[in-house]
Amino acid sequence: MSEREQDWLKQLDEQALSKQEQFLDMIAAKLKRPRVKQKPQRPFSGAPDFWQQYELSETEKLDMFQRNFEAAGGYVLHAATLQDASVLIAEKAAELKALHILRQDEEPLARLGLEQALPHVQVRCWNNDETEDWKARAAEADIGVVLADYAVAYTGSITLLSSKTKGRSVSLLPTLLFALIPRSSVVTKLGEVLKQFDELGRAELPAGIHFVSGPSRSADIENDLTIGVHGPGIVYAIIIDDII
Amino acid sequence: MSTQQTALKGTVKERAQLALNNDFLRQAVRFTTERLRSGKLKAAEEHGNWDEWRERGRQIRLHTIAHLDYYLGEFATNARENGVHVHFAATAQEAIQIGLAIAQAKEAKSAVKSKSMVTEEIHLNQALQSLGIEAIETDLGEYIIQLANEAPSHIIIPAIHKNRYQIAELLSEDAGEQLPPETSVLAGYVRKKLREKFLQADIGVTGCNFAIAETGSIVLFENEGNARMVSTVPKTQITFMGMERIIPSWADLEVMATLLPRSATGQKLTVYMSGISGPKRADDGDGPEEMHIIILDNGRSLQLGDPEFQELLNCIRCGACLNACPVYRHIGGHAYGGTYSGPIGAVLTPALKKNVAEWDDIANASSLCGACYEACPVKIPLHDMLVSLRRRKVEAGHGNALESAGMKGFAGVMSSSKVYHSTLKLGKLGQKLVVRDGGIPAKIGPLKGWNSHRIAPSIAKKLFRERYGELKAELGQQVKANAEVEQRMQQWLKGRQDGGISHE
Repeated sequence: MSEREQDWLKQLDEQALSKQEQFLDMIAAKLKRPRVKQKPQRPFSGAPDFWQQYELSETEKLDMFQRNFEAAGGYVLHAATLQDASVLIAEKAAELKALHILRQDEEPLARLGLEQALPHVQVRCWNNDETEDWKARAAEADIGVVLADYAVAYTGSITLLSSKTKGRSVSLLPTLLFALIPRSSVVTKLGEVLKQFDELGRAELPAGIHFVSGPSRSADIENDLTIGVHGPGIVYAIIIDDII
Repeated sequence: MSTQQTALKGTVKERAQLALNNDFLRQAVRFTTERLRSGKLKAAEEHGNWDEWRERGRQIRLHTIAHLDYYLGEFATNARENGVHVHFAATAQEAIQIGLAIAQAKEAKSAVKSKSMVTEEIHLNQALQSLGIEAIETDLGEYIIQLANEAPSHIIIPAIHKNRYQIAELLSEDAGEQLPPETSVLAGYVRKKLREKFLQADIGVTGCNFAIAETGSIVLFENEGNARMVSTVPKTQITFMGMERIIPSWADLEVMATLLPRSATGQKLTVYMSGISGPKRADDGDGPEEMHIIILDNGRSLQLGDPEFQELLNCIRCGACLNACPVYRHIGGHAYGGTYSGPIGAVLTPALKKNVAEWDDIANASSLCGACYEACPVKIPLHDMLVSLRRRKVEAGHGNALESAGMKGFAGVMSSSKVYHSTLKLGKLGQKLVVRDGGIPAKIGPLKGWNSHRIAPSIAKKLFRERYGELKAELGQQVKANAEVEQRMQQWLKGRQDGGISHE
């Protein structure tokens, strides 16, 4: 960023701060009371009490996740080990004649050994080379491979947190997405994941937190369901018993 | 190419007439709203304890709005800590000014947008285009209506009023080749076309479904993935946010995530729910390098401290009230003439505009049946607000002189039993001239509006008042209810007097 641009931004930020004071004072005045500067007491927060008690057994969780994910148009596969998962991905890649695969730069995904399993496919690893245009690589990829941080049974969702080694584009731009889900990371309800972000606090949050519940879809043309409008049109969740 | 704001042409009645004459529109609106409404009812029932969730949603929204200055301040502080440039705009003009200044500083040539009602409200696209910056809507439905140069007619399904042939025509013109009217081909064309636009765009513009005060994060709900594109690919992200979008914490998001998708489309969760906390971290490989959030008032604060309308700010923009509304289902969104349609639009549009008289006729486009309140996931009493709006309109002197005279006459007749009785007798005599087959079809005088579509009932041959004596005598002869039933009814009556029985 040029120095001129930085100065301009700084000026903009200063203007915003003084405007903010007017803005918040105005709100307090409209509410006919002085500004509230202390954190207000809350009689209620989060989900109703009965919901906090709701908890499924492990089998129920896996069943429910599968049911919901499939109802949304996704596919659920099961694998005992990473090697089994690797076979599933390689088979699909061969079947669809994939040319480019992009995976997150995570150790368990490296152990899938996709490079060896698919010698004729260009398998890339997210952000391991600073000179590369990674968004373009993600856009050209036929298949993206990610490791889920959590999965939520009640909504049939996969949770993906961004970082240097975990690109947001990898789960978004490829045509087909494989999400590996360690069996132990499946929780019952959304709140179990969301509360962890409260506990982590602002400074520890990643820039992007994404919940993905099936393939990209739209019903904007005459209510006719279309799959894969912008994001991946085919999404596989592979639940892995043992990631070691 | 712009999403033009349909200027307020004619009255609601005239605009509705357009809709009522358009068979496809009426059918499509009915079909879609019915599908969404039954999806919502099913999802709510399947989830269970729906009223408890609604009540919790309402409590969270009420609390946040009651302490809005605190939570907005907390949000701004935390978002800045995340590296976001946070701006405050009192009016649409101010928000536009800030947005354009950023776009100019970036020397932007194009901006990709995900769906945002706020940017519709402030007419951002026209402003960007006035600077020669291409503004591209990327939601499939929004892209279609942008090509058609129209405004959205439904909060959730903006192109609800177009059929696939009309859409194929629009997209064919855009593509420069004939596309068949097949959904998958049309959507495939848009996907390909917009891919290029995403990768070229200098700026990504998003709205904001919720903003989390404690961590300075914004949350976006969507099904297509375009909001993720817009917030991942371009170098600069600008998020426009209504100042009331705040919730305190991520735990509260569970309640909103339970209410919003189920109420909007009947989904358990939208395909994508994204929480974005600032621009990309230094070593991240994607995400915007610079992020701005513009927080907008534009009339929202007029509701604060107003006991009749403050709850309007609780709205989470799900569209459930549109789908439930018998009037919306007949006339469609454009008849409301504003950015927001349906029952919420009928209240919000005049409320944001300081109840300007010209907008108030949409408050009359409602049957006050309360279906909107029943459908609302945060229990906003929209039907009560519509009554308040009508009252305010009359109080402000925007009433109809003829209507006032009529009401005065009505009051005169109704407040004296003698006058009432002789009027009825007179009516019985007078109606002989106009009664046909037991009804009054004549479109004359005060009956003109009503009789354009219906037939007014005639006055009964023998009035209730005249029969009352006999009826009372008949009642007296009826056997007394048995003692047990009698006692139960007495108890129930007593309970009601104690306020023990509620309607909810």
